[in-house]
Amino acid sequence: MRILLLAAAALALAACVSVAPYQRGYLARPDMAFEPSAGTAEALGKTYSAKEAASGGASVGGGGCGCN
Amino acid sequence: MRRAAAALAATIASLGAAATHALEAGSPLPAITAPRLAASGAPVSLASLKGQVVYVDFWASWCVPCRLSMPTLDAMYRKYSSKGFAVVGFNKDVSNADAERFLQRVPVSFTLAQDEKDAAAKAFDVKAMPSGYLVDRKGVVRRVHRGFTAETAAELEHEVEELLKEPA
Repeated sequence: MRILLLAAAALALAACVSVAPYQRGYLARPDMAFEPSAGTAEALGKTYSAKEAASGGASVGGGGCGCN
Repeated sequence: MRRAAAALAATIASLGAAATHALEAGSPLPAITAPRLAASGAPVSLASLKGQVVYVDFWASWCVPCRLSMPTLDAMYRKYSSKGFAVVGFNKDVSNADAERFLQRVPVSFTLAQDEKDAAAKAFDVKAMPSGYLVDRKGVVRRVHRGFTAETAAELEHEVEELLKEPA
């Protein structure tokens, strides 16, 4: 009984909430984006990989030839 | 102890029960009453629209396709309202100020309603933004449009024309 209650409590504590499509007012805000400015991020990424003489690592694997 | 366990079980069960079935074609129009958006007057009652062809639309200022759907629905409403076509737009913005800013850029003449506590959205079980429910004169949902493109607009106009021909 005690174990059951503990398991139930653990389940109830899980902070998983499904957000309905009509409740995405806050999530749709531009400052909620993973990358608010795609252009700036791309430019920074390119500069970074040129300075480091290596590309990749941030997302997909790449060589260290510096040919970017 | 046993009572606490029962309460917990009930909480968990209610979390699962939130997933209801989406409203599809063939279902009766839910009898929803909601306050008007940015206007005084009697609350909007869906049941009172029986006898008309009704398009119930869920929209928000943050919903990108709504920038196309709202002016399109407004044009359709102006064209067919004299023949018995009504449009009700349930707003899903977090604050009414957001909705009003949107409406200043995209003014519409059809009925707009607030959806307090998501009552209408839950009754329709809205699966996408925007979602539109085309209801015939008998109060039966005949077509559900999820999302909105130029194609949807053309389809919807044809469907409205067909439904307007049907007797009440």
